[in-house]
Amino acid sequence: MGMGESSSEHWDEADFRAVFLEQYARIVGILVRLLGDRSHAEEVANDAFWRLYRQPALQIDGNVGGWVYRTATNLGIDALRAANRRHQHEATAGRLAEESTAAGPLDGLLREEKCWRVRAVLTAIKPAQAQLLILRTSGLSYKELAEALDVKVSGMGTMLNRAEAEFRKRYLALYRNEEEL
Amino acid sequence: MTCMDDGSLRAHLDGELSGSEVAEMNQHLAACADCRVHFEKLCAETSRTGDLLKTMAPVADFSTISPTTAYALFRSQVRSSDQPDTLWIRRLFAASWRPAWGLAAAAVVVAILVGVSPVRTWAQRVLTMLRVQKISVVTIDPGALMSNGGPNSRPSKLIDQFFSDSVVVTMKPGEPDVASSVAQAAELAGYPIQTLGSLGAPQSIEVNGESAFQMTIDRDRVETLLEEVGRSDINIPESANGALIAVRVPKIVRSRYGDCSTTNCVYLIQAPSPTVSVPPDLNMAEIAEAALELAGMNSAEAHSFCQTVDWTSTLVIPIPSNSGSYQTVSVDGVEGTLITETRAQQSRYSLLWVKNGMIDSLTGQGSSSDALALAASLQ
Repeated sequence: MGMGESSSEHWDEADFRAVFLEQYARIVGILVRLLGDRSHAEEVANDAFWRLYRQPALQIDGNVGGWVYRTATNLGIDALRAANRRHQHEATAGRLAEESTAAGPLDGLLREEKCWRVRAVLTAIKPAQAQLLILRTSGLSYKELAEALDVKVSGMGTMLNRAEAEFRKRYLALYRNEEEL
Repeated sequence: MTCMDDGSLRAHLDGELSGSEVAEMNQHLAACADCRVHFEKLCAETSRTGDLLKTMAPVADFSTISPTTAYALFRSQVRSSDQPDTLWIRRLFAASWRPAWGLAAAAVVVAILVGVSPVRTWAQRVLTMLRVQKISVVTIDPGALMSNGGPNSRPSKLIDQFFSDSVVVTMKPGEPDVASSVAQAAELAGYPIQTLGSLGAPQSIEVNGESAFQMTIDRDRVETLLEEVGRSDINIPESANGALIAVRVPKIVRSRYGDCSTTNCVYLIQAPSPTVSVPPDLNMAEIAEAALELAGMNSAEAHSFCQTVDWTSTLVIPIPSNSGSYQTVSVDGVEGTLITETRAQQSRYSLLWVKNGMIDSLTGQGSSSDALALAASLQ
Protein backbone atom coordinates (compact mmCIF):
# COMPACT_ATOMS: atom_id res chain seq x y z
CA MET A 1 0.00 0.00 0.00
CA GLY A 2 1.07 3.56 0.39
CA MET A 3 0.76 4.54 -3.26
CA GLY A 4 -1.49 7.45 -2.58
CA GLU A 5 -2.74 9.64 0.17
CA SER A 6 -4.05 7.60 3.09
CA SER A 7 -7.16 8.56 4.95
CA SER A 8 -9.46 6.79 7.34
CA GLU A 9 -12.49 8.36 5.65
CA HIS A 10 -11.99 7.60 1.97
CA TRP A 11 -9.99 5.13 -0.02
CA ASP A 12 -7.23 6.42 -2.16
CA GLU A 13 -8.49 5.32 -5.56
CA ALA A 14 -5.13 4.05 -6.79
CA ASP A 15 -4.70 1.98 -3.64
CA PHE A 16 -8.16 0.51 -3.89
CA ARG A 17 -7.73 -0.25 -7.57
CA ALA A 18 -4.44 -2.02 -6.86
CA VAL A 19 -6.05 -4.21 -4.20
CA PHE A 20 -8.99 -4.97 -6.46
CA LEU A 21 -6.88 -5.92 -9.48
CA GLU A 22 -4.51 -7.99 -7.37
CA GLN A 23 -7.14 -9.98 -5.53
CA TYR A 24 -10.23 -10.15 -7.73
CA ALA A 25 -9.46 -13.16 -9.92
CA ARG A 26 -8.26 -15.27 -7.02
CA ILE A 27 -11.28 -14.35 -4.88
CA VAL A 28 -13.64 -15.24 -7.74
CA GLY A 29 -11.77 -18.53 -8.21
CA ILE A 30 -12.25 -19.42 -4.54
CA LEU A 31 -15.92 -18.49 -4.65
CA VAL A 32 -16.54 -20.50 -7.80
CA ARG A 33 -15.20 -23.55 -5.99
CA LEU A 34 -17.46 -22.84 -3.10
CA LEU A 35 -20.61 -21.92 -5.03
CA GLY A 36 -20.17 -23.81 -8.29
CA ASP A 37 -21.50 -20.88 -10.31
CA ARG A 38 -19.43 -18.20 -11.96
CA SER A 39 -22.00 -15.41 -12.00
CA HIS A 40 -22.96 -16.05 -8.39
CA ALA A 41 -19.27 -16.06 -7.43
CA GLU A 42 -18.72 -12.72 -9.13
CA GLU A 43 -21.69 -11.23 -7.32
CA VAL A 44 -20.38 -12.35 -3.95
CA ALA A 45 -16.87 -11.12 -4.82
CA ASN A 46 -18.36 -7.79 -5.79
CA ASP A 47 -20.19 -7.63 -2.46
CA ALA A 48 -16.93 -8.35 -0.60
CA PHE A 49 -15.17 -5.49 -2.41
CA TRP A 50 -18.11 -3.22 -1.65
CA ARG A 51 -17.64 -3.96 2.00
CA LEU A 52 -13.93 -3.28 1.70
CA TYR A 53 -14.71 -0.01 -0.01
CA ARG A 54 -16.76 0.99 3.00
CA GLN A 55 -13.83 0.26 5.33
CA PRO A 56 -11.30 2.89 4.26
CA ALA A 57 -9.63 2.74 7.67
CA LEU A 58 -8.15 -0.60 6.62
CA GLN A 59 -5.81 1.11 4.17
CA ILE A 60 -3.85 2.73 6.98
CA ASP A 61 -2.73 -0.23 9.01
CA GLY A 62 -5.12 -3.02 8.11
CA ASN A 63 -4.33 -6.35 6.56
CA VAL A 64 -6.36 -5.59 3.46
CA GLY A 65 -5.74 -8.77 1.49
CA GLY A 66 -6.53 -10.97 4.48
CA TRP A 67 -9.65 -8.95 5.22
CA VAL A 68 -10.96 -9.48 1.69
CA TYR A 69 -10.33 -13.23 1.78
CA ARG A 70 -12.02 -13.53 5.16
CA THR A 71 -15.01 -11.43 4.14
CA ALA A 72 -15.44 -13.08 0.75
CA THR A 73 -15.34 -16.59 2.17
CA ASN A 74 -17.75 -15.62 4.96
CA LEU A 75 -20.16 -14.21 2.40
CA GLY A 76 -19.56 -17.25 0.21
CA ILE A 77 -20.45 -19.66 3.00
CA ASP A 78 -23.62 -17.68 3.72
CA ALA A 79 -24.50 -17.77 0.04
CA LEU A 80 -23.73 -21.47 -0.08
CA ARG A 81 -26.33 -22.15 2.58
CA ALA A 82 -28.98 -20.55 0.39
CA ALA A 83 -27.58 -22.24 -2.71
CA ASN A 84 -27.74 -25.63 -0.99
CA ARG A 85 -31.42 -25.07 -0.41
CA ARG A 86 -31.95 -24.13 -4.04
CA HIS A 87 -29.93 -27.12 -5.13
CA GLN A 88 -32.66 -29.34 -3.73
CA HIS A 89 -35.10 -27.84 -6.21
CA GLU A 90 -33.13 -27.34 -9.35
CA ALA A 91 -32.85 -29.95 -12.04
CA THR A 92 -29.36 -31.39 -12.07
CA ALA A 93 -29.67 -31.96 -15.78
CA GLY A 94 -29.78 -28.26 -16.43
CA ARG A 95 -26.48 -27.67 -14.74
CA LEU A 96 -24.89 -30.66 -16.35
CA ALA A 97 -25.73 -29.35 -19.75
CA GLU A 98 -23.64 -26.30 -18.91
CA GLU A 99 -20.83 -27.93 -17.05
CA SER A 100 -20.49 -31.41 -18.44
CA THR A 101 -16.91 -32.58 -18.67
CA ALA A 102 -15.06 -34.40 -21.39
CA ALA A 103 -15.32 -37.51 -19.23
CA GLY A 104 -18.97 -37.90 -20.18
CA PRO A 105 -22.33 -37.18 -18.65
CA LEU A 106 -22.34 -39.94 -16.04
CA ASP A 107 -18.98 -38.95 -14.64
CA GLY A 108 -20.15 -35.39 -14.68
CA LEU A 109 -23.27 -36.29 -12.74
CA LEU A 110 -21.35 -38.19 -10.08
CA ARG A 111 -18.78 -35.47 -9.76
CA GLU A 112 -21.51 -32.86 -9.49
CA GLU A 113 -23.30 -34.78 -6.76
CA LYS A 114 -20.07 -35.27 -4.84
CA CYS A 115 -19.39 -31.57 -5.12
CA TRP A 116 -22.70 -30.74 -3.53
CA ARG A 117 -22.05 -33.19 -0.72
CA VAL A 118 -18.74 -31.49 -0.01
CA ARG A 119 -20.47 -28.13 -0.07
CA ALA A 120 -23.22 -29.35 2.24
CA VAL A 121 -20.61 -30.55 4.74
CA LEU A 122 -18.78 -27.23 4.55
CA THR A 123 -21.97 -25.47 5.62
CA ALA A 124 -22.41 -27.95 8.47
CA ILE A 125 -19.03 -27.43 10.15
CA LYS A 126 -17.85 -24.29 11.94
CA PRO A 127 -17.56 -21.39 9.48
CA ALA A 128 -13.95 -20.71 10.53
CA GLN A 129 -13.02 -24.32 9.76
CA ALA A 130 -14.89 -24.22 6.45
CA GLN A 131 -13.03 -21.01 5.55
CA LEU A 132 -9.71 -22.61 6.37
CA LEU A 133 -10.44 -25.66 4.20
CA ILE A 134 -11.72 -23.75 1.21
CA LEU A 135 -8.82 -21.30 1.29
CA ARG A 136 -6.23 -24.03 1.67
CA THR A 137 -7.83 -26.06 -1.14
CA SER A 138 -7.66 -22.92 -3.27
CA GLY A 139 -3.90 -22.92 -2.82
CA LEU A 140 -3.22 -20.36 -0.07
CA SER A 141 0.06 -20.87 1.81
CA TYR A 142 0.18 -21.06 5.61
CA LYS A 143 1.35 -17.45 5.71
CA GLU A 144 -1.53 -16.32 3.50
CA LEU A 145 -3.99 -18.37 5.53
CA ALA A 146 -2.70 -16.84 8.76
CA GLU A 147 -3.19 -13.35 7.31
CA ALA A 148 -6.64 -14.14 5.99
CA LEU A 149 -7.89 -15.68 9.19
CA ASP A 150 -5.94 -13.45 11.55
CA VAL A 151 -4.24 -16.32 13.36
CA LYS A 152 -0.62 -17.35 13.97
CA VAL A 153 1.27 -19.27 11.30
CA SER A 154 2.73 -21.58 13.93
CA GLY A 155 -0.66 -23.09 14.76
CA MET A 156 -1.75 -23.61 11.15
CA GLY A 157 -0.87 -27.30 10.85
CA THR A 158 -2.86 -28.14 13.95
CA MET A 159 -5.81 -26.04 12.80
CA LEU A 160 -5.85 -27.76 9.42
CA ASN A 161 -5.73 -31.20 11.04
CA ARG A 162 -8.65 -30.31 13.28
CA ALA A 163 -10.71 -28.78 10.48
CA GLU A 164 -10.18 -31.83 8.26
CA ALA A 165 -11.00 -34.21 11.11
CA GLU A 166 -14.25 -32.34 11.67
CA PHE A 167 -14.97 -32.36 7.93
CA ARG A 168 -14.41 -36.15 7.74
CA LYS A 169 -16.58 -36.74 10.80
CA ARG A 170 -19.50 -34.74 9.34
CA TYR A 171 -19.08 -36.19 5.90
CA LEU A 172 -19.23 -39.74 7.22
CA ALA A 173 -22.19 -38.89 9.43
CA LEU A 174 -24.11 -37.61 6.42
CA TYR A 175 -22.93 -39.92 3.66
CA ARG A 176 -21.54 -43.05 5.30
CA ASN A 177 -23.62 -45.27 3.04
CA GLU A 178 -22.60 -43.61 -0.17
CA GLU A 179 -18.91 -43.06 0.28
CA GLU A 180 -15.71 -44.50 1.55
CA LEU A 181 -13.56 -41.92 3.22
CA MET B 1 13.29 -38.65 22.25
CA THR B 2 10.23 -36.40 22.18
CA CYS B 3 7.78 -37.13 19.38
CA MET B 4 6.83 -34.46 16.85
CA ASP B 5 3.42 -32.89 17.35
CA ASP B 6 0.65 -33.31 14.76
CA GLY B 7 0.87 -29.69 13.69
CA SER B 8 4.55 -29.97 12.80
CA LEU B 9 3.98 -33.24 10.96
CA ARG B 10 1.22 -31.58 9.01
CA ALA B 11 3.38 -28.55 8.18
CA HIS B 12 6.06 -31.00 6.95
CA LEU B 13 3.49 -32.77 4.79
CA ASP B 14 2.35 -29.44 3.35
CA GLY B 15 5.93 -28.35 2.61
CA GLU B 16 5.64 -25.44 5.00
CA LEU B 17 8.71 -26.10 7.16
CA SER B 18 11.94 -24.15 6.70
CA GLY B 19 15.12 -25.82 5.42
CA SER B 20 16.57 -26.49 8.86
CA GLU B 21 13.22 -27.68 10.19
CA VAL B 22 12.88 -30.11 7.30
CA ALA B 23 16.32 -31.54 8.02
CA GLU B 24 15.46 -31.91 11.70
CA MET B 25 12.12 -33.53 10.83
CA ASN B 26 13.66 -36.01 8.40
CA GLN B 27 16.27 -36.96 10.95
CA HIS B 28 13.58 -37.50 13.55
CA LEU B 29 11.33 -39.54 11.26
CA ALA B 30 14.28 -41.75 10.31
CA ALA B 31 14.85 -42.52 13.97
CA CYS B 32 11.28 -42.61 15.38
CA ALA B 33 8.98 -45.43 14.24
CA ASP B 34 5.97 -44.02 16.11
CA CYS B 35 6.21 -40.69 14.31
CA ARG B 36 6.69 -42.45 10.96
CA VAL B 37 3.49 -44.42 11.47
CA HIS B 38 1.71 -41.29 12.61
CA PHE B 39 2.99 -39.33 9.63
CA GLU B 40 1.88 -42.00 7.16
CA LYS B 41 -1.59 -42.07 8.69
CA LEU B 42 -1.78 -38.29 8.47
CA CYS B 43 -0.68 -38.41 4.82
CA ALA B 44 -3.38 -40.94 3.97
CA GLU B 45 -6.15 -39.02 5.76
CA THR B 46 -5.13 -35.70 4.32
CA SER B 47 -4.94 -37.13 0.84
CA ARG B 48 -8.45 -38.64 1.01
CA THR B 49 -9.95 -35.46 2.42
CA GLY B 50 -8.02 -33.37 -0.10
CA ASP B 51 -9.38 -35.46 -2.97
CA LEU B 52 -12.91 -34.79 -1.81
CA LEU B 53 -12.34 -31.08 -1.37
CA LYS B 54 -10.72 -30.90 -4.79
CA THR B 55 -13.94 -32.09 -6.44
CA MET B 56 -14.99 -28.47 -6.01
CA ALA B 57 -12.33 -27.36 -8.48
CA PRO B 58 -14.08 -25.47 -11.25
CA VAL B 59 -14.39 -27.26 -14.56
CA ALA B 60 -14.77 -24.03 -16.49
CA ASP B 61 -11.88 -22.11 -17.96
CA PHE B 62 -11.09 -19.08 -15.86
CA SER B 63 -8.87 -17.34 -18.30
CA THR B 64 -11.79 -15.05 -19.08
CA ILE B 65 -11.94 -13.48 -15.61
CA SER B 66 -11.03 -9.89 -16.21
CA PRO B 67 -10.23 -7.92 -13.07
CA THR B 68 -9.94 -4.77 -15.17
CA THR B 69 -13.46 -5.10 -16.52
CA ALA B 70 -14.76 -6.09 -13.10
CA TYR B 71 -13.10 -3.03 -11.62
CA ALA B 72 -14.62 -0.75 -14.26
CA LEU B 73 -18.06 -2.12 -13.42
CA PHE B 74 -17.34 -1.75 -9.74
CA ARG B 75 -16.35 1.89 -10.22
CA SER B 76 -19.51 2.59 -12.12
CA GLN B 77 -21.49 1.10 -9.24
CA VAL B 78 -19.55 3.24 -6.78
CA ARG B 79 -20.35 6.33 -8.81
CA SER B 80 -24.01 5.47 -8.91
CA SER B 81 -24.30 4.27 -5.33
CA ASP B 82 -24.89 7.80 -4.17
CA GLN B 83 -27.41 8.22 -6.92
CA PRO B 84 -30.17 5.72 -6.33
CA ASP B 85 -32.16 7.04 -9.24
CA THR B 86 -29.75 5.71 -11.84
CA LEU B 87 -28.83 2.44 -10.30
CA TRP B 88 -31.96 0.88 -11.69
CA ILE B 89 -30.79 1.19 -15.25
CA ARG B 90 -27.62 -0.77 -14.62
CA ARG B 91 -29.45 -3.29 -12.52
CA LEU B 92 -32.18 -3.61 -15.07
CA PHE B 93 -29.82 -4.88 -17.70
CA ALA B 94 -26.97 -6.09 -15.51
CA ALA B 95 -24.87 -8.86 -16.97
CA SER B 96 -25.27 -10.58 -13.69
CA TRP B 97 -28.82 -11.80 -13.98
CA ARG B 98 -29.57 -12.70 -10.42
CA PRO B 99 -30.14 -9.36 -8.73
CA ALA B 100 -31.90 -7.89 -11.68
CA TRP B 101 -34.26 -10.11 -13.56
CA GLY B 102 -34.14 -12.68 -10.82
CA LEU B 103 -36.01 -10.30 -8.65
CA ALA B 104 -38.23 -9.32 -11.49
CA ALA B 105 -39.37 -12.88 -11.50
CA ALA B 106 -41.17 -12.13 -8.38
CA ALA B 107 -42.56 -9.08 -9.92
CA VAL B 108 -45.86 -9.15 -8.24
CA VAL B 109 -44.75 -9.67 -4.73
CA VAL B 110 -42.15 -7.45 -5.67
CA ALA B 111 -44.35 -4.66 -6.41
CA ILE B 112 -45.46 -5.09 -2.85
CA LEU B 113 -41.94 -4.85 -1.62
CA VAL B 114 -40.72 -2.25 -4.00
CA GLY B 115 -40.00 0.41 -1.48
CA VAL B 116 -38.11 -1.66 0.99
CA SER B 117 -34.84 -1.49 -0.79
CA PRO B 118 -34.98 1.82 -2.53
CA VAL B 119 -31.56 1.77 -4.07
CA ARG B 120 -31.97 -1.59 -5.69
CA THR B 121 -33.97 -2.86 -8.59
CA TRP B 122 -36.73 -0.36 -8.47
CA ALA B 123 -37.88 -0.81 -11.96
CA GLN B 124 -37.84 -4.57 -12.04
CA ARG B 125 -39.89 -4.78 -8.95
CA VAL B 126 -42.76 -2.99 -10.56
CA LEU B 127 -42.35 -4.85 -13.80
CA THR B 128 -45.48 -6.84 -13.28
CA MET B 129 -46.71 -6.36 -16.79
CA LEU B 130 -47.26 -8.93 -19.39
CA ARG B 131 -45.17 -7.21 -22.02
CA VAL B 132 -43.63 -3.77 -21.96
CA GLN B 133 -45.02 -1.43 -24.55
CA LYS B 134 -44.46 1.90 -22.90
CA ILE B 135 -42.60 3.52 -20.07
CA SER B 136 -43.89 5.77 -17.38
CA VAL B 137 -42.01 7.55 -14.61
CA VAL B 138 -43.24 8.25 -11.12
CA THR B 139 -41.36 10.11 -8.42
CA ILE B 140 -41.32 8.60 -4.99
CA ASP B 141 -39.76 9.51 -1.68
CA PRO B 142 -37.57 6.68 -0.40
CA GLY B 143 -36.57 8.76 2.61
CA ALA B 144 -40.11 8.48 3.90
CA LEU B 145 -39.86 4.75 3.86
CA MET B 146 -36.73 4.00 5.76
CA SER B 147 -33.50 5.77 6.38
CA ASN B 148 -31.32 2.70 6.25
CA GLY B 149 -32.28 0.97 3.04
CA GLY B 150 -28.86 -0.02 1.74
CA PRO B 151 -28.13 -3.46 0.40
CA ASN B 152 -26.79 -4.58 3.76
CA SER B 153 -29.73 -3.44 5.84
CA ARG B 154 -31.84 -6.04 7.58
CA PRO B 155 -34.90 -5.52 5.36
CA SER B 156 -32.79 -5.95 2.24
CA LYS B 157 -31.31 -9.12 3.62
CA LEU B 158 -34.76 -10.41 4.56
CA ILE B 159 -35.94 -9.76 1.06
CA ASP B 160 -32.89 -11.37 -0.52
CA GLN B 161 -33.47 -14.41 1.65
CA PHE B 162 -37.10 -14.41 0.69
CA PHE B 163 -36.22 -14.45 -2.99
CA SER B 164 -33.46 -16.99 -2.66
CA ASP B 165 -35.94 -19.31 -0.97
CA SER B 166 -38.86 -18.63 -3.29
CA VAL B 167 -37.51 -18.13 -6.78
CA VAL B 168 -37.02 -21.22 -8.93
CA VAL B 169 -34.73 -20.79 -11.91
CA THR B 170 -36.13 -22.62 -14.88
CA MET B 171 -33.60 -21.43 -17.43
CA LYS B 172 -30.11 -20.11 -16.74
CA PRO B 173 -28.60 -17.56 -19.09
CA GLY B 174 -25.09 -19.03 -18.83
CA GLU B 175 -22.03 -16.98 -19.62
CA PRO B 176 -22.58 -14.12 -22.06
CA ASP B 177 -21.32 -14.66 -25.61
CA VAL B 178 -18.82 -12.09 -26.80
CA ALA B 179 -19.57 -11.12 -30.38
CA SER B 180 -16.76 -10.00 -32.66
CA SER B 181 -19.03 -7.89 -34.84
CA VAL B 182 -22.46 -6.36 -34.95
CA ALA B 183 -23.51 -8.91 -37.55
CA GLN B 184 -22.42 -11.77 -35.34
CA ALA B 185 -24.20 -10.23 -32.35
CA ALA B 186 -27.40 -9.99 -34.36
CA GLU B 187 -27.04 -13.60 -35.39
CA LEU B 188 -26.47 -14.70 -31.78
CA ALA B 189 -29.33 -12.59 -30.46
CA GLY B 190 -31.77 -13.46 -33.22
CA TYR B 191 -32.81 -9.86 -33.79
CA PRO B 192 -31.26 -6.81 -35.50
CA ILE B 193 -28.81 -4.75 -33.44
CA GLN B 194 -28.67 -0.98 -33.59
CA THR B 195 -25.43 0.95 -33.35
CA LEU B 196 -24.41 4.53 -32.56
CA GLY B 197 -23.14 5.77 -35.91
CA SER B 198 -21.34 8.79 -34.48
CA LEU B 199 -19.13 6.62 -32.25
CA GLY B 200 -17.95 4.13 -34.85
CA ALA B 201 -17.82 0.43 -34.05
CA PRO B 202 -18.58 -0.69 -30.47
CA GLN B 203 -15.57 -1.63 -28.33
CA SER B 204 -17.30 -4.77 -27.16
CA ILE B 205 -20.63 -6.51 -27.69
CA GLU B 206 -21.96 -9.10 -25.28
CA VAL B 207 -25.03 -11.23 -25.83
CA ASN B 208 -26.58 -12.50 -22.62
CA GLY B 209 -28.51 -15.74 -22.89
CA GLU B 210 -32.20 -16.22 -22.25
CA SER B 211 -33.29 -16.85 -18.71
CA ALA B 212 -36.51 -17.73 -16.97
CA PHE B 213 -37.72 -17.82 -13.39
CA GLN B 214 -40.87 -18.50 -11.53
CA MET B 215 -42.24 -18.27 -8.04
CA THR B 216 -45.43 -18.80 -6.14
CA ILE B 217 -46.57 -16.07 -3.81
CA ASP B 218 -47.14 -16.95 -0.19
CA ARG B 219 -49.27 -14.12 1.15
CA ASP B 220 -48.61 -15.00 4.78
CA ARG B 221 -44.89 -14.82 4.25
CA VAL B 222 -45.11 -11.49 2.44
CA GLU B 223 -47.22 -10.10 5.25
CA THR B 224 -44.69 -11.32 7.79
CA LEU B 225 -41.98 -9.55 5.84
CA LEU B 226 -44.00 -6.36 5.75
CA GLU B 227 -44.45 -6.57 9.51
CA GLU B 228 -40.72 -6.96 9.92
CA VAL B 229 -40.08 -3.82 7.94
CA GLY B 230 -42.73 -1.95 9.90
CA ARG B 231 -45.32 -1.67 7.14
CA SER B 232 -48.08 -3.98 8.30
CA ASP B 233 -50.51 -1.21 7.33
CA ILE B 234 -50.12 -2.17 3.67
CA ASN B 235 -52.70 -4.62 2.42
CA ILE B 236 -51.82 -7.49 0.17
CA PRO B 237 -54.72 -8.37 -2.10
CA GLU B 238 -56.27 -11.78 -1.58
CA SER B 239 -55.84 -12.46 -5.27
CA ALA B 240 -52.05 -12.53 -4.85
CA ASN B 241 -52.00 -15.55 -2.57
CA GLY B 242 -50.85 -18.71 -4.31
CA ALA B 243 -50.35 -16.87 -7.60
CA LEU B 244 -47.71 -18.38 -9.86
CA ILE B 245 -45.60 -15.73 -11.54
CA ALA B 246 -43.39 -16.79 -14.42
CA VAL B 247 -40.91 -14.48 -16.11
CA ARG B 248 -39.00 -15.14 -19.31
CA VAL B 249 -36.19 -12.78 -20.19
CA PRO B 250 -35.05 -12.92 -23.83
CA LYS B 251 -31.46 -12.45 -24.95
CA ILE B 252 -29.98 -9.06 -24.04
CA VAL B 253 -27.33 -7.31 -26.15
CA ARG B 254 -24.94 -4.88 -24.46
CA SER B 255 -22.75 -2.79 -26.74
CA ARG B 256 -20.02 -0.74 -25.11
CA TYR B 257 -18.45 2.29 -26.76
CA GLY B 258 -15.22 3.58 -25.20
CA ASP B 259 -13.08 2.14 -22.40
CA CYS B 260 -14.84 2.58 -19.05
CA SER B 261 -11.64 2.17 -17.04
CA THR B 262 -9.90 5.13 -18.61
CA THR B 263 -12.35 7.34 -20.45
CA ASN B 264 -16.01 8.11 -20.66
CA CYS B 265 -17.93 5.17 -22.02
CA VAL B 266 -21.44 4.69 -23.33
CA TYR B 267 -23.61 1.60 -23.14
CA LEU B 268 -26.33 0.83 -25.64
CA ILE B 269 -28.45 -2.02 -24.36
CA GLN B 270 -31.16 -3.71 -26.38
CA ALA B 271 -33.55 -6.46 -25.45
CA PRO B 272 -36.97 -7.64 -26.46
CA SER B 273 -39.44 -7.06 -23.68
CA PRO B 274 -39.43 -9.75 -21.03
CA THR B 275 -42.72 -11.59 -20.71
CA VAL B 276 -44.35 -11.99 -17.36
CA SER B 277 -47.13 -14.49 -16.88
CA VAL B 278 -49.49 -13.82 -14.04
CA PRO B 279 -52.87 -15.34 -13.18
CA PRO B 280 -55.67 -13.47 -14.97
CA ASP B 281 -57.50 -12.71 -11.74
CA LEU B 282 -54.53 -11.02 -10.12
CA ASN B 283 -55.37 -7.40 -9.43
CA MET B 284 -52.25 -5.65 -10.64
CA ALA B 285 -53.41 -2.14 -9.81
CA GLU B 286 -53.99 -3.04 -6.17
CA ILE B 287 -50.57 -4.57 -5.86
CA ALA B 288 -48.91 -1.65 -7.58
CA GLU B 289 -50.72 0.69 -5.25
CA ALA B 290 -49.35 -1.17 -2.24
CA ALA B 291 -45.89 -1.02 -3.77
CA LEU B 292 -46.00 2.69 -4.36
CA GLU B 293 -47.29 3.29 -0.85
CA LEU B 294 -44.38 1.30 0.45
CA ALA B 295 -42.10 3.40 -1.71
CA GLY B 296 -43.22 6.51 0.08
CA MET B 297 -46.31 7.74 -1.81
CA ASN B 298 -49.32 8.53 0.23
CA SER B 299 -52.31 6.34 -0.30
CA ALA B 300 -54.33 8.89 -2.29
CA GLU B 301 -51.45 9.67 -4.66
CA ALA B 302 -50.74 6.01 -5.21
CA HIS B 303 -54.39 5.30 -5.95
CA SER B 304 -54.63 8.21 -8.33
CA PHE B 305 -51.43 7.26 -10.19
CA CYS B 306 -52.47 3.65 -10.53
CA GLN B 307 -55.69 4.66 -12.23
CA THR B 308 -53.68 6.29 -15.01
CA VAL B 309 -51.48 3.33 -15.86
CA ASP B 310 -52.20 0.21 -17.85
CA TRP B 311 -50.32 -2.22 -15.66
CA THR B 312 -50.29 -4.95 -18.26
CA SER B 313 -48.10 -3.04 -20.70
CA THR B 314 -46.25 -0.29 -18.85
CA LEU B 315 -42.84 -0.41 -17.26
CA VAL B 316 -43.04 2.00 -14.37
CA ILE B 317 -39.78 3.51 -13.25
CA PRO B 318 -39.85 5.04 -9.81
CA ILE B 319 -37.34 7.86 -9.35
CA PRO B 320 -36.53 9.17 -5.90
CA SER B 321 -37.74 12.75 -5.72
CA ASN B 322 -34.54 14.07 -4.17
CA SER B 323 -32.30 13.51 -7.15
CA GLY B 324 -32.34 13.61 -10.89
CA SER B 325 -34.96 14.85 -13.26
CA TYR B 326 -36.70 13.34 -16.23
CA GLN B 327 -38.31 14.49 -19.42
CA THR B 328 -40.13 13.00 -22.34
CA VAL B 329 -38.15 13.21 -25.56
CA SER B 330 -38.39 11.96 -29.10
CA VAL B 331 -35.96 9.17 -29.93
CA ASP B 332 -35.79 6.82 -32.89
CA GLY B 333 -39.23 7.96 -33.97
CA VAL B 334 -40.95 7.14 -30.68
CA GLU B 335 -41.42 8.70 -27.28
CA GLY B 336 -38.55 8.10 -24.86
CA THR B 337 -37.74 8.97 -21.26
CA LEU B 338 -34.53 10.82 -20.54
CA ILE B 339 -33.34 10.82 -16.95
CA THR B 340 -30.48 13.13 -16.04
CA GLU B 341 -28.65 14.03 -12.91
CA THR B 342 -25.58 15.93 -11.85
CA ARG B 343 -23.33 14.93 -9.04
CA ALA B 344 -19.83 16.03 -8.16
CA GLN B 345 -19.95 18.31 -11.21
CA GLN B 346 -20.53 15.32 -13.44
CA SER B 347 -23.71 14.82 -15.42
CA ARG B 348 -25.07 11.42 -16.28
CA TYR B 349 -27.94 10.43 -18.49
CA SER B 350 -30.10 7.37 -19.02
CA LEU B 351 -32.31 7.35 -22.06
CA LEU B 352 -34.91 4.62 -22.30
CA TRP B 353 -37.43 3.86 -25.02
CA VAL B 354 -39.57 1.05 -26.35
CA LYS B 355 -40.00 0.42 -30.06
CA ASN B 356 -41.51 -2.57 -31.82
CA GLY B 357 -41.45 -4.66 -28.65
CA MET B 358 -37.78 -3.89 -27.96
CA ILE B 359 -36.57 -2.04 -24.87
CA ASP B 360 -33.52 0.11 -25.60
CA SER B 361 -31.39 2.10 -23.24
CA LEU B 362 -28.47 4.43 -23.66
CA THR B 363 -26.42 5.43 -20.63
CA GLY B 364 -23.31 7.50 -20.22
CA GLN B 365 -21.73 10.62 -18.83
CA GLY B 366 -22.77 13.95 -20.22
CA SER B 367 -25.76 16.21 -20.61
CA SER B 368 -29.20 15.54 -22.01
CA SER B 369 -28.11 17.08 -25.31
CA ASP B 370 -25.19 14.61 -25.50
CA ALA B 371 -27.66 11.78 -25.06
CA LEU B 372 -29.97 13.12 -27.73
CA ALA B 373 -27.10 13.72 -30.16
CA LEU B 374 -25.93 10.13 -29.75
CA ALA B 375 -29.46 8.82 -30.07
CA ALA B 376 -29.86 10.78 -33.30
CA SER B 377 -26.99 8.77 -34.78
CA LEU B 378 -28.71 5.42 -34.12
CA GLN B 379 -28.58 3.18 -37.14
